Amino acid sequence: MPNEIDHSQLCLKLKAVAQSRDKQAFTVLFKFFATKILRIARGKFPNEAQANEVVQETMSNVWRKAHLFNADKGAATTWVYTVMRNVTFDMLRKIKGNKEDNLSDDIWPMAESMVSETDNYEDHLAQDNLLSVIDTLPEAQKEVVKGFYLMEMSQEQLATKLNLPLGTIKSRLRLALAKLKVQLGEDHD
Amino acid sequence: MIKHHPTFELLKSFVDGELPASLSAGIAIHADMCAVCQHQIAQLTEQVAEASFEFEEAFLDRFIVDSNDDIEDMPVINFDQMIDDITASNALTETVVKTEKQISFNEQSYTLPNALHNMDLGRTTHIGKLSRARIQLDENEIHTSLLHIQPGGGVPEHTHKGFELTLLLDGSFEDENGQYVKGDFIMLNGDHQHHPISPEGCLCYTVANDALHFTQGINKLLNPIGSFIY
Ligand SMILES: [Zn+2]
Repeated sequence: MPNEIDHSQLCLKLKAVAQSRDKQAFTVLFKFFATKILRIARGKFPNEAQANEVVQETMSNVWRKAHLFNADKGAATTWVYTVMRNVTFDMLRKIKGNKEDNLSDDIWPMAESMVSETDNYEDHLAQDNLLSVIDTLPEAQKEVVKGFYLMEMSQEQLATKLNLPLGTIKSRLRLALAKLKVQLGEDHD
Repeated sequence: MIKHHPTFELLKSFVDGELPASLSAGIAIHADMCAVCQHQIAQLTEQVAEASFEFEEAFLDRFIVDSNDDIEDMPVINFDQMIDDITASNALTETVVKTEKQISFNEQSYTLPNALHNMDLGRTTHIGKLSRARIQLDENEIHTSLLHIQPGGGVPEHTHKGFELTLLLDGSFEDENGQYVKGDFIMLNGDHQHHPISPEGCLCYTVANDALHFTQGINKLLNPIGSFIY
């Protein structure tokens, strides 16, 4: 099993940051998230300074927007992920398109991007849990799907890491996706 | 009732933040009107977040045999300094209360979806029963627009070399494949031909990465205006 995340601890720390501007609590959050954010950002930005900026911006937003976190709506990890994703999106748009319009908060409003516990769809969609569906895949496909979708590795990177031809990675991914689609009921109509 | 939704791959890329702003906004607008996709996005976000912050060491090791190199490659950031800088000010970001924005076409007023609030809209141009306002996202070959069709109007039969997203913001239209209603997210690629008409009129959000190409008889003469519509 991978390291379990202590969700309730992260949640408490985030609340402490929001309610009492608790610097100790923020330090705990920082230590948990910063290197992970840096690693992810390094995959998206070739430039070290830009990757560092993602960490700086994301963690600043965590400090300044902690009051927008709603523990009833989802995990602290989900909230920090959305903050990081939004920072990354705006920065990429700025770098690639030279646009400083910071659209991310309109596209992914901070307060609404989480699972609502009272959601009507909770019950009949509960089995749609992606991870559990992925776990039903044959081992060879599971590996590729997790690498590609969860670790966000490219097909080329996976081929290198798993020491397999690119064609094999592509076909495993295709097979796995076909299966996942059936299980997740992609066609709603 | 909404029958057309983004594919799983699109939702996943949306959650990852990897789609251009034009398509991201399209999915956000659809999800605002579609509880099913909203729920799926929320679940995907939770799972991607969990995976991003959990599988760090244990899971990554299965893929990256030489993971030590990776860690040594990491630049040394002065994290303590960063923490001090960030916490130097206790100010909280104030939440901006969003006010509704309206847009009108041919004297009909519509509420602009939230996702489009801070996008620049070009001047509205008209051709027959069609009116189009370009949304200036500057995404190179990807063109994003608001397209208004007056009752009885339509788009002549055409194909696309790239993709074409039509998201119905209001009203309805129909083509060879049936009727589409408010909220429907219709993604077509170069293999499809269609000829949408709107007996009642409609407002659409459209994203296309190429001009459309008219395919039928006299309509071929329209090809020079293909780039006008999408
Ligand atoms: Zn949907």
